[in-house]
Amino acid sequence: MQRRLWLSLPIGALALLAWPAASYASVGVGVQAGPVRLDGVAHPGGQYALIPVYVVNTGTQTESVSISVERISAGTGRTVPPGWISASLVPVRLSHAQSARIPLELTVPRTAAPGRYFSDVVAKGSASFSAGGARLGVAAATGLEFTVAPGVATAGWFSVPGWVLAYVLGVLVVTAAAVGVRRSGVRIRIERSRDDVA
Amino acid sequence: MSPSVRWLLMSLVLAAMTACGAVVAPQQAMGRAGSISLSLTTVPTIRSVTISPGRASFTGCTGGDGGANTRSTFGRLGFPNGQCWVGSNVSASYPITVTNTGIGSDIDISGSSATPVEGGGSWNLCSAGGEGPLACTGRASKPGPDQYQVLNFSTWGTRHGGISGTPRCDRVFGPRGSCWAVEGMVVTEGLELIGPQWSSDTSTNWTITITWTPVPGRQN
Repeated sequence: MQRRLWLSLPIGALALLAWPAASYASVGVGVQAGPVRLDGVAHPGGQYALIPVYVVNTGTQTESVSISVERISAGTGRTVPPGWISASLVPVRLSHAQSARIPLELTVPRTAAPGRYFSDVVAKGSASFSAGGARLGVAAATGLEFTVAPGVATAGWFSVPGWVLAYVLGVLVVTAAAVGVRRSGVRIRIERSRDDVA
Repeated sequence: MSPSVRWLLMSLVLAAMTACGAVVAPQQAMGRAGSISLSLTTVPTIRSVTISPGRASFTGCTGGDGGANTRSTFGRLGFPNGQCWVGSNVSASYPITVTNTGIGSDIDISGSSATPVEGGGSWNLCSAGGEGPLACTGRASKPGPDQYQVLNFSTWGTRHGGISGTPRCDRVFGPRGSCWAVEGMVVTEGLELIGPQWSSDTSTNWTITITWTPVPGRQN
């Protein structure tokens, strides 16, 4: 009996130590309050980098934050099809109070109707509490707004893939080196000695 | 050209240049540009919410059909339309603490379909009274087959229609059905789950997800 009592003392102490952590455990996620906007207008067929959206873990537990586009809050304009927005670097893993900026890209299809578009960028945390069979979780939303103007997006007059530029540059360098060597008068003569022949 | 005329012309040209501002006035040249650095601090502009449940679990289950041996037990949901609780609005027990840790926002709430832990057919979240896109099809607007309903409650009352699959204003977050929450506002809530009329899937362990989301509200 006495032995059991001595055994229960350290277990009780551990439980007491764990109590505050359990009491204050929380899950939380935050997002920038200012809406995600596009500078200028978008055109059908265009691709645009939006300003990265700020997310933060406001809970005590480490969690992964993912991004989705939904129409939640009140606002005017056409609903942004979720497929138009792609987020890089997600899900992003954040510990307590850690934050990140998630790059977003807007791709407007060629068939997009002109007008004002509105939806919400929703940051959802993976952490949750279990209440019986229920998982209790959090998310946070901020506005997403931009305008699509008529007219197809035009690429610049000199728009070629990066690898083409690198290839052309390489060819130019080699050609310039060859011309330079030729004009300098330097000659490389390769001779085979008789010993090698034998 | 005589030297005197040359000097005259030069002085005239110099005077004209000075008048046009091409030559900087001596006083201006002697002056020094000044600047000061100012720092400015703004209030945080983050929209966020945290939840911290106490001892939350679905218990106190009631309802079901005793004659068919599907009556609820304390911790197990029965059929048809058994009810289980996280907390209780009768005994004023609200185990889930929801805190608006960001700027003033509307707090929305949503739920997911219920899925069996082992995989299989799911139960769809339904609501009554036009609260959500999927209406409960059972008797007296209770969940029909493979449907379930979740009502949340707080000291401000109970959301009788139930929550839906899309985030909607959490009507028990504030007085008079308001879901507007200022920074630091804390509300404790409980949940009531009403199960399906009957379940196609024979699983006995199910998972649902309830999510609270702060969204741009009336003031932003």
